[in-house]
Amino acid sequence: MGLKLTRGAFAHPATSLRYRTGSWRMERPVHRHRPAPCHAVCPAGEDAQAWLALVAEERYREAWETIVAVNPLPAVTGRVCHHPCEQICNRGNFDEPIAIHHIERWLGDQAITTGWAYPAVAPAHGAKTVAVVGAGPAGCSAAWQLTRRGYRVDLFEALPVAGGLLRSALPPYRLPRSVLDGELERLLASGIAFRPGQRLGRDFSLDELGSEYAAVFLGPGTQRSRDWDIDGATPQDLHVGLDLLKRWLDVGFVPDWTSAAIIGGGNTAIDLARVLRHAGVETVHVVTHQSLPHPGVEQTDTMPAIAREIEQAMEEGVVFHEHRGVQRLVLRGERVVGLELVHRKELREVNEAVRHVSFEGTESLLHVDQVIPAIGQTVDPAGLESLLERRDFLTATEQGRLSGAPGLYAGGDACGNHGSVSAAIGDGRRAALTIERDLQRIADPDHGEPPAITPAELNMNYFEPQPRQHAPVLPVAERSGEAEIISGLAQQQVAREAHRCLSCGNCLACDNCWTLCPDVAVLKTRHPVEDGSHYVFDYDFCKGCGLCARECPTSYIVMETEP
Amino acid sequence: MQYALEGSQALARTVALCRPQVIAAYPITPQTHIVENLSKLVADGLLDCELVSVESEFSAASVVLGAVAAGARAYTASSSQGILLMCEVLYNISGLRLPMVMTCANRAVSGPLSIWNDQQDSMAVRDAGWVQLYCATNQEAVDTTIQAYLIAEQTELPVMVCVDGFTLTHTLEVLDIPDQQQVDRFLPPFNFDRRLDPTSPISIGTLVAPDFFTESRGDHHRALTNAQQAIVAAAAAWEDVCGRRQNPLLCVSDMGDARIGILTLGSIAGTLAAARDHFQSVPATRLMALRAFRPFPAEAIRHACEGLTDLVVLERALSPGSGGIVGTEVRAALSELQTAPRVHNFSVGLGGRDVPMDIYPRIHEAVRAGSGIPFDIIDLEPDKLPAAI
Amino acid sequence: MGDSSDQLSHRGLRLSQPRFSGLESGHRACQGCGEALGARLVTEAAGPDVAYANATGCLEVFTTAWPDSAWRVPWIHSLFENAPAVAAGMEAALKARGKTTRVISMGGDGSTFDIGFQALSGMLERGHNVLHVCFDNEAYMNTGIQRSSSTPHAASTTTSPSGKVRMGKRHLKKDIVSIVAAHHIPYAATSSVAYPSDIRKKVRRALAIDGPTFLHIHTPCPLGWGHDGALSIEVARLAVQTGLFPIIELERGRLAGSMPIRTVRPVTDYLQLQTRFRHLFADDARAREELEHLQALADHNIEVYNLRGTQPDSRDSEGADTVRRGGMRWA
Repeated sequence: MGLKLTRGAFAHPATSLRYRTGSWRMERPVHRHRPAPCHAVCPAGEDAQAWLALVAEERYREAWETIVAVNPLPAVTGRVCHHPCEQICNRGNFDEPIAIHHIERWLGDQAITTGWAYPAVAPAHGAKTVAVVGAGPAGCSAAWQLTRRGYRVDLFEALPVAGGLLRSALPPYRLPRSVLDGELERLLASGIAFRPGQRLGRDFSLDELGSEYAAVFLGPGTQRSRDWDIDGATPQDLHVGLDLLKRWLDVGFVPDWTSAAIIGGGNTAIDLARVLRHAGVETVHVVTHQSLPHPGVEQTDTMPAIAREIEQAMEEGVVFHEHRGVQRLVLRGERVVGLELVHRKELREVNEAVRHVSFEGTESLLHVDQVIPAIGQTVDPAGLESLLERRDFLTATEQGRLSGAPGLYAGGDACGNHGSVSAAIGDGRRAALTIERDLQRIADPDHGEPPAITPAELNMNYFEPQPRQHAPVLPVAERSGEAEIISGLAQQQVAREAHRCLSCGNCLACDNCWTLCPDVAVLKTRHPVEDGSHYVFDYDFCKGCGLCARECPTSYIVMETEP
Repeated sequence: MQYALEGSQALARTVALCRPQVIAAYPITPQTHIVENLSKLVADGLLDCELVSVESEFSAASVVLGAVAAGARAYTASSSQGILLMCEVLYNISGLRLPMVMTCANRAVSGPLSIWNDQQDSMAVRDAGWVQLYCATNQEAVDTTIQAYLIAEQTELPVMVCVDGFTLTHTLEVLDIPDQQQVDRFLPPFNFDRRLDPTSPISIGTLVAPDFFTESRGDHHRALTNAQQAIVAAAAAWEDVCGRRQNPLLCVSDMGDARIGILTLGSIAGTLAAARDHFQSVPATRLMALRAFRPFPAEAIRHACEGLTDLVVLERALSPGSGGIVGTEVRAALSELQTAPRVHNFSVGLGGRDVPMDIYPRIHEAVRAGSGIPFDIIDLEPDKLPAAI
Repeated sequence: MGDSSDQLSHRGLRLSQPRFSGLESGHRACQGCGEALGARLVTEAAGPDVAYANATGCLEVFTTAWPDSAWRVPWIHSLFENAPAVAAGMEAALKARGKTTRVISMGGDGSTFDIGFQALSGMLERGHNVLHVCFDNEAYMNTGIQRSSSTPHAASTTTSPSGKVRMGKRHLKKDIVSIVAAHHIPYAATSSVAYPSDIRKKVRRALAIDGPTFLHIHTPCPLGWGHDGALSIEVARLAVQTGLFPIIELERGRLAGSMPIRTVRPVTDYLQLQTRFRHLFADDARAREELEHLQALADHNIEVYNLRGTQPDSRDSEGADTVRRGGMRWA
C-alpha cells in the first residue's frame, strides 16, 4: 500500500475520516414524522403542529394557507370548534395546552382583515363538474376542496345565503355575522359557482343532478326537528328548539315568559338557553338525562355540548339539571305550567344496547312557563326519500361514499355526526378526495395513519414552563348584546403562544442532535431537507448510539434496526 | 573571551549564548548552580527567555518537551535522582524526535544516598534514545553545549551533555567563553517543521500498532547511529569558529607505538593525562577519552585501538550483577577485530571517591598481573566490606 | 485503511458547518461516549487558535491510532502524568515566540486527580496562562474500569468491586475543585455534558482570562458505568439534578456561582440507571446504608454550594438546556 511512517509517528489532521465507524452500527437514527396528537384528533384533519410552526416563524400567511388547504373556515372554527386538539395537546402534560383554537381564529381574522385570497387554481382544461348540495360547513368544504383540485363546482343552497347552521343557528356572540360573511364571501369568490335559492326536491331532483354532473355531494344538514311528546301530550304552543333559535337569530323576538325549560344536552340546547337568558327570561333550565362534563365522567354519558359553552351558560345563570328526564307535563288546559322531572340515566348493556331508565321515587316538580325540546335534528327527507328510506340520517362510508348509490357522496350532520362543524368540514374534504380518486379511477389508500406522538416519547427536559396566553372574556354583566363573549388574542400573544408548541413529531431545528452527537455524525444543512428538518445523518460515521433519538425533544428521530 | 568561572557558571553563560526561549529549572545537587546562574541572568535582563521553575524534574523534562513541540529552543539540567525521575519523559522526547539539549551533571544514584560524582545516572538512561556526549573538561563542556544545539536541531534528536558533578561543575578555572556573534554565526534560529501550529495542525504522540512500531524504533536507531556524522561535522564547524581543537567522537592522546591503552569518559581523562606525565617509568600508554557514548562509535574505537594488546576501560559506573557498562560495549566492538586487544574493565571513583594520580600505576599493575578478570572495581577496599552472606 | 475523505458522501456539508470543528468523526470511541462529546464541545467553543496537550487515556487513544487523527487542532500527547507540565512548556514557548495561540491541557480523572496531580498543581501555582480541562468519567476507563480517586463512593470498579464483604469503593470522591481552587487561580468551574451551552460558556470564560483556569466536566462512560450509550445525557443530567455533581464556579477560591437545581431528584433516580451501583439495590442492610450515605453526600453538596433553586430560572438545571425553535442561526 505504500504507507510510510512519519517522523515521530505524527498524524495529519482529520485523517480519521478515512475510518468509517458507521460499520459499527446495529441500528440507525432516521427522521420519522408521526402526527402530533392535535393532528390525529382534529375532526377536520388539520395538522395544527405544522401551521403553528409557521406562526412561530412569523410566516402568518403560509400558516393560514396551510389551514385552508384542509379547513377553509378558520375564523369560524376558531370560534365555534370544541377543539379536541387542545384536550389532547401534549403540552398539557407539561404545563398548559397550546391555545390552538385562538391562534386559528387569529389567522382567520387576519385573512379577512388583510384580504388574503383563497389560493385556488383555474379549472383544468376539460375539467369535470361536480354538484354540491347544501352550502353549510360540509358542502362548502367539499366545494372548496374540489375547486382547489381543478374541478368545476356548482354549489346549490336552498336559502338565499350560504352558511347553513353557521348562519341560522349560531348566535352572533359566538360567531359574528361579519366574520362569517367575511370568510364565506372570499371563499365563494375562489371560483365556486354559487346557486342560492335552489331547494332539493322543489327546484331540482337528485336524478337530474346525477345525469348532469360527474358526481354529487350531499350536505343537506339536519333541518327537521325530532318529534317530541310526553306520553302523547304536547303543549299547545310547542316551540321546537332549533326552529326557535333560528327564528330568534333571523328576526329576533322578545319572549314574554318568566321561565322556560329546555330539554336536551347539545349545543342547540345551550345556545337557546343563553339566548333566552340574554333576552330577559328570568329563569332558564336545561334538563338532560346525561351528565355535565366533570373530569372522570365517561365520554358516553356526558352532554355533547361544548364544555366552554356550558360553563359560560352557568355563569350567565342558566340552571342545569343533569341525569333528569321529563316524566309528565303539568298542563293547565293546553298551557304548560310545569314539568315532572325524574332521575333518569342511560344504561349501557354488555352488548352495547342502550336503555333509558327512570328511577321510581325520585320525582320532583319544576314550574316553568315554557318547555322547549332541543333533542336533536334529522335529515329533511324532501328530495332524498329514495336514499333515506325512512331512516333519520344518510349512511355514508368513512370515505364519504353513499352506500349503494354510485356517484353520490355525503357528509356533515346529515350523516349522523355529532353536530360538530369541524367534523362536517372534515367529511366534506374526505368526500371530495374520494370523488377525485373515483373520477380518476385511483384505489383508496390502504395504509392508516401512524400513531400520534405520546407525551412519554417527548423529551420534556428541554422545555421551559410558560403559562398559556389567555383571551379576554366578557364579564357576565356585559353579555347581553351581540358582542362576542370571547375576544381573540393579540398578535404578540399569538407569537408567544406558538412558541410554546412542542413540535411533536417534527423537527424544530433546536440543534440538540447536531450538538450532542459524540461522533460528529449529524450535520446541519443551510436549507431544510426534504423531510423538513435541518439536519442529515452521516451514516458513514454514525455508530447508532441513539443519543440523538433520546435527546430529540420532539420525538422526530427514531432508531431503526440497521438494514 | 577569557573568564575565571566556576564550571556551572560557564555553562549557564554558554546556554544563554545559545538563545534558549524556554528554560525549565529544578534544583538538585550538583546541577543547581547552573539553573541558579541562569535565573540570575534572567533577573538581570541579560537573558530574555521564559524561565519555568517547575515542581519536579519530571515536569522539567515535560516543560521542555512541550516547549520544543511548540517551536521554541529549550534547555534544562539535572542529575542523579532527577535524571531517573524524568526517565519516562526522556524516552518520550527522543521517540517523538524533539530536539533539545540537557546538561547532566553526573552524580551517583540512591540508594544509598550520595550527592557526589559518578556516571551511574546518565548510564542508567543510555537506552533512552538520546545523543550522549561526555565532557572531560569545562572548556569542552562549553564547546560541546553549543555544538549540541546544532547537532540536536539537525538530527531532530535530543542531546545530553554529561559533565562530572562537583569535579567540573564546582571547579573555578579560566575558560574561553565565545561571544554572541560567534554563537549566532554557528547556530541559526530554531525553526521546527513539526511544531504545533494552528495553521498546520498535526497530532504528535499517536498510538502506533505493531505493524509500524518496529519501523518507528528502527528509524530512531538509524537516526541516532547516523548522528555520528552530525557530531563530527558540528565539531569541525565549531573548530573553525573558535579555533580550538575539537574531538567529536573520542580524543586519542597519540597513536604512537604504545601497546596499552586506557579509555575513559569524563574528567578522569585529565587525571590520567597528568599521571602519564608524572609516572615516567610506566610503559607507554595511549590515552583515550570517549566523548560520544551514544551513538556508540564502534568504528572509531576500533581504529583508536589499532596495535594495542591491552585496553583498559575505566568507568565511573557499573551494572550490578554484570559488570562494567562502557567496558562491555567496548569489548563487543573490539571483538570484531581479527586481533582484538584484551579488555580490562574497571569501575573507579564511584559515589565521588577521589581518583588520585596513583590510579595510573595501579592500572598498569593490574594489566601486568593479567589475571583475565573481566571486571573489577579497582579502588574497592575489601576490609570495608561487610561479611558476605 | 479506507478510502480517501474525498469520497465521503457529505464532505462538502461537513466542511461548511457553521461552527468550528476541532474533533472530527472516525474516532474509535464507544457508542455514546461522554468524553468524546465533551472534547468535541470544548474544542468547538475554544476555536482554532488553540494548541492542546492531552494526557494518556481513552481520549488520546481513540482519536490518534496512527496514521489517523481525529483532531483538526494542533495536538500533542506525551505521557499520563504530565499534560499540565507539557502545556506549561507550550505556553512558555508560544509566549516567548510572541504568538496569540492559547494552550489547553486535557486529561481524564486518572491523570488529573491522581498521577498528574503534581503537574497540575505546579502549573496552577506558577500562573501559566493555561486552561486545564478534566473529563471526569470517574475511573481509569482506558485500562478497563479501575478505581481512581475520582470514583464516587460505593461505585463498583474492577479494583473496588462489590462483593461479600465490600460495597464498592470505600473512599469518597476526591474534591478536586476545592483543591484546585485553593491555588487561588482566577477561575475554576465544573460542568456536565448534559449542559453543552454551559460548557461552551465556561470554556470561553476561562479562555478570556489571563492566568491558569480549570474546568471539570462530568462525562459518563456507558461501558464503565453500566448503562446504554443512548442514556449518557440522561445520566449526566441526573447527576446534576440529584446534587451529586454540583455545577459551580469559583474565582480565586471562592464560590462565585452555581447552577441551581430546580427540582431536586433523589439519588436513587441516578444510581439505578447504572450497573456500577447495582449492588446498592440488593436487599441488604449495608446496601441500604450506602444509599443513605450517598443521599447524605448529595444533600451536603446542595447545602454547601447553595444549589436549591427557589424559582424557575433560565440558568438552572432545567432552564439551562431549554431549546428554542431554529437554534443557532446558520452563520
